[in-house]
Amino acid sequence: MSTKDIETQEYIPDHLLDEPTITPVIRPGHTFGTVTDKISAIALTRKTPRGWYIGFAIAFALAMMLFYSLAQLVLVGTGIWGLNVPVAWGFAIINLVWWIGIGHAGTLISAILLLLRQNWRTSINRFAEAMTLFAVACAGIFPVFHTGRPWLAYWLFPYPNTMKMWPNFRSPLMWDVFAISTYASVSALFWFIGLIPDFATLRDRARSRSGQVIYGMLAMGWRGSARHWHRYETAYLLLAGLATPLVLSVHTVISFDFTIGITPGWHATIFPPYFVAGAIYAGFAMVLILAIPIRKFYGLEDFITMRHLRNMAKIMLATGLIVGYGYMMEAFFGWYSANQYEGFMIRNRMTGPYAPFYWALIFCNIIAPQILWSRRMRNSVPVLFITALIVSVGMWLERFVIVVTSLHRDYLPSSWGMYRGSFWDWSTFIGTIGLFVALLFLFLRFLPMISIFEMRTILPQAEVKEAKE
Amino acid sequence: MKEEPSPIYGLMAEFDNPTEIVAAAHRAYEEGYRNMDAFTPFPIEELSEAIGFHHNRLPLIVLIGGIVGCLGGYLLQYWVAVIEYPLNIGGRPFHSWPAFIPITFETTVLVAALSAVFGMLALNGLPRPHHPVFNVPNFKLASRDHFFLCIESKDPKFDRKQTRQFLEGLGGKVSDVELS
Amino acid sequence: MSEISYAAPAEIDHYRQRALVIGVVALVLCAASAAIIKDRIFFSYLVGFVFWTGVALGSLAIAMLHQLSGGNWGVVIRRLLESATKTFPLLAILFLPVVAGLLFGDLYEWAHIEKVTGKEREILEHKKFYLNTLFFLGRAAFYFIVWISLTYLFNKWSREQDETGDRRLQRKLQILSGPGIVLYGLTVTFSSIDWVMSLDPEWFSTIFGVLFMGGQGLSALALIIALLVLLSKHEPLASKVKPAHLHDLGKLMLAFVMLWAYFNFSQFLIIWAGNLPEEIPWYIRRLQGSWKWVGLMLVVFHFALPFFLLLSRDLKRNARRLITVALLVVFMRFIDVIWLIAPEFQEKDFTARKLGIVMDFVALIGVGGIWMWFFLSRLKERPILPLHDPNWEDAES
Repeated sequence: MSTKDIETQEYIPDHLLDEPTITPVIRPGHTFGTVTDKISAIALTRKTPRGWYIGFAIAFALAMMLFYSLAQLVLVGTGIWGLNVPVAWGFAIINLVWWIGIGHAGTLISAILLLLRQNWRTSINRFAEAMTLFAVACAGIFPVFHTGRPWLAYWLFPYPNTMKMWPNFRSPLMWDVFAISTYASVSALFWFIGLIPDFATLRDRARSRSGQVIYGMLAMGWRGSARHWHRYETAYLLLAGLATPLVLSVHTVISFDFTIGITPGWHATIFPPYFVAGAIYAGFAMVLILAIPIRKFYGLEDFITMRHLRNMAKIMLATGLIVGYGYMMEAFFGWYSANQYEGFMIRNRMTGPYAPFYWALIFCNIIAPQILWSRRMRNSVPVLFITALIVSVGMWLERFVIVVTSLHRDYLPSSWGMYRGSFWDWSTFIGTIGLFVALLFLFLRFLPMISIFEMRTILPQAEVKEAKE
Repeated sequence: MKEEPSPIYGLMAEFDNPTEIVAAAHRAYEEGYRNMDAFTPFPIEELSEAIGFHHNRLPLIVLIGGIVGCLGGYLLQYWVAVIEYPLNIGGRPFHSWPAFIPITFETTVLVAALSAVFGMLALNGLPRPHHPVFNVPNFKLASRDHFFLCIESKDPKFDRKQTRQFLEGLGGKVSDVELS
Repeated sequence: MSEISYAAPAEIDHYRQRALVIGVVALVLCAASAAIIKDRIFFSYLVGFVFWTGVALGSLAIAMLHQLSGGNWGVVIRRLLESATKTFPLLAILFLPVVAGLLFGDLYEWAHIEKVTGKEREILEHKKFYLNTLFFLGRAAFYFIVWISLTYLFNKWSREQDETGDRRLQRKLQILSGPGIVLYGLTVTFSSIDWVMSLDPEWFSTIFGVLFMGGQGLSALALIIALLVLLSKHEPLASKVKPAHLHDLGKLMLAFVMLWAYFNFSQFLIIWAGNLPEEIPWYIRRLQGSWKWVGLMLVVFHFALPFFLLLSRDLKRNARRLITVALLVVFMRFIDVIWLIAPEFQEKDFTARKLGIVMDFVALIGVGGIWMWFFLSRLKERPILPLHDPNWEDAES
């Protein structure tokens, strides 16, 4: 990637860097027409670049590896994973938490920033929401296949059945079923609702008959009526208002999976907010990892400007510090609790066999991102990209450490053991990354990756001037 | 042979910026037209006010959805855990209300969100694959950068000639909206 | 925007003197009641101290957050927040009775470790490194030094910004606010452990610091909204405070109400489900006997009622209704602080228990009166609106 970003070429005094006039959320000179054309052309007319085919092929191959690994799992059984007593929760829960966390940034960008009237969100919300959906899809694979008999997964839902059995609603795993399925449904609705006006644009601009028909069906006859827009805006705001507490609740419920039990290292009241912050942290890292190459590759620097990247870096820094606060509280209360098992767990985490993972995660999540305090660094695209990669790795390690160190040495030393992922664990995990990227490639190719109608609203021309009477 | 002018859906005026269409809508409303609609590439808050559309029942629908989801979620859990299938799990009471809160919250949000989306679509009368306004030749641009104001023929004040003159006076390019 | 005077309204003087009189009378009452309720009065005083320190700290946090996030909601309350942060020197003096409770009263069990026996003694011995008188006082001194230094710099630059309008000062304030928030988080966490959690030295909850931050933010915001509405009866605020400002502040208050409920419910659910002997007694004390009703009151009036009221857009834009909700929230914040502290008084002295609750309110009013007097005096010293806040352009439109 080229290190030369237009805005870093000339010297700008530090205190002016954040001035909207210097880095606007949309490069000046655009009109309703040019915004529409530039974004819709990617889905409609532009020749699919060769890089797209290569990238998609790689991602698709990895996704096939995922399906092969899952087929293997179904044929042979969960024994092919590295799970065993005492560590009966391994990669499946780690990857579930990791993927769900990544999804959270998408909802945060589309819902919370909308409520806070941060209009810079407009050019990144669409693909961030897509990212949410695909991440939740990847996350969902793990618990469903972890059951060993995924074809019976519907037993998790409460429905009248001939066995006269009902689920146990006191179990946080049941809460998970509701939280994740609600989250997936609401994210999908939010995404689809946001797309309707843009489907109409694509319908009206598609030249091929198939494009017209398909986009036309998806647009559901949207015609941009003022009455429709009014209700549409209300619905969108209400959805944002609902999605905001929802996204917090999802990772909170995920944290309840751990905290509701009494395992040392898991039973901590700080978990809910600290898991939520960690989720947003990892999610923004992923948005940066995706946004930086996409804007370069598709030439979208006019729409995804340095201001977006800097703001995301700031959010990462803030949430990263909250995560650091969580680690500190765990360590302090490990000692303060005066509970020997809590104390042992923390010592074992820091100095036991998994200590290198612990210190690696401290480096990745706490030490490395401190570089973002510097404005110069926040303004450097390669630094942001590398930091985001480090944070993504760090957040995976965090979940690994939380899950494994609390389990592998429990109350009874004779049952201590070690855990490592098997080949199939890794192939499933890497396979979900392939699936995620493959879905993202399809999205970039066929749907407007930036919300066209919302981009029109943030142009200066969109303002209605006072009547000159 | 003299041709009867075929009935039309309305008259459509075309503008190219948001300020003009809002001003035009205001004028039309002052003129006494009520059955009209505007078509724009993005939401314009002032416009729905200008055509006299204030009433919005959606928040109420969502509130009802939320209440239904909340009560439904809690009662489902209560009924299962206390009445239909009481099981002693870890000595917890059958009616473990703190443990029922997370699912109650999720069902509240789910039903409210579904009501927001489907309520919006239903009130808007969507999906509706075809509509007479699509017959206007330039209407494709309503999803790009053009702004349309349509006065419908069912408006009591509608008169094919006068309304056309009125709309032309507003500065827009006017065309008939054919019914099919 | 410059024709009107930005001086604080003269009516402040009136409020100020009244606050001082009420405060002194209430504190004298507190001192007198010690004859009857003995050590219980230290708990009451702690309630007052913790609440008003929370208002100052919450104001500091909101002022710094506003520097970092921008937004026009903060412009109209900025000077109120800043004046609240100037009260830390006073609060440092008001901390002395707590020290007296530690040294001479029975406020903190761990300070008199020699009276404790059995398993509990073991736990206290383990924690002795942290929970001992000297380290406790050292930490308290450290917290106050941090808070006073932070607010000194913040207010100094803010004053210079008023005088010169130099945009670089904005940058300086932001550079201070980033690390300032970090310091705030750490000091609040450990001070909440020291001053409140250690009342029951066996109990612990890792979310406690966060819970305090949420509560402080809410106390500060609700009180500042109430004051803003009161002061906006007079110029210059009367012409500058728009329904849009109140709307934003109302939304922020709604967010804090929800966060408060979220933190508290998370803590409760986890401890309830775990049901561990070292954790659950804290809730048993608060959810059985008469305290149960206070707990229920918190759920209804601290969360449910303000939550539903604040959902309404019209309410948030209406000054008179918003102030009613804000005052309800301030009152419920009182109750919440009482509920956190008072049940830790476990002597069998029932007069002290009952009268103690009354004295909790008297102490809240006493410390509050003095605090309010000091706060209003600081508010008077400077223009009531920040003259060169870069968010003005937004706020004007």
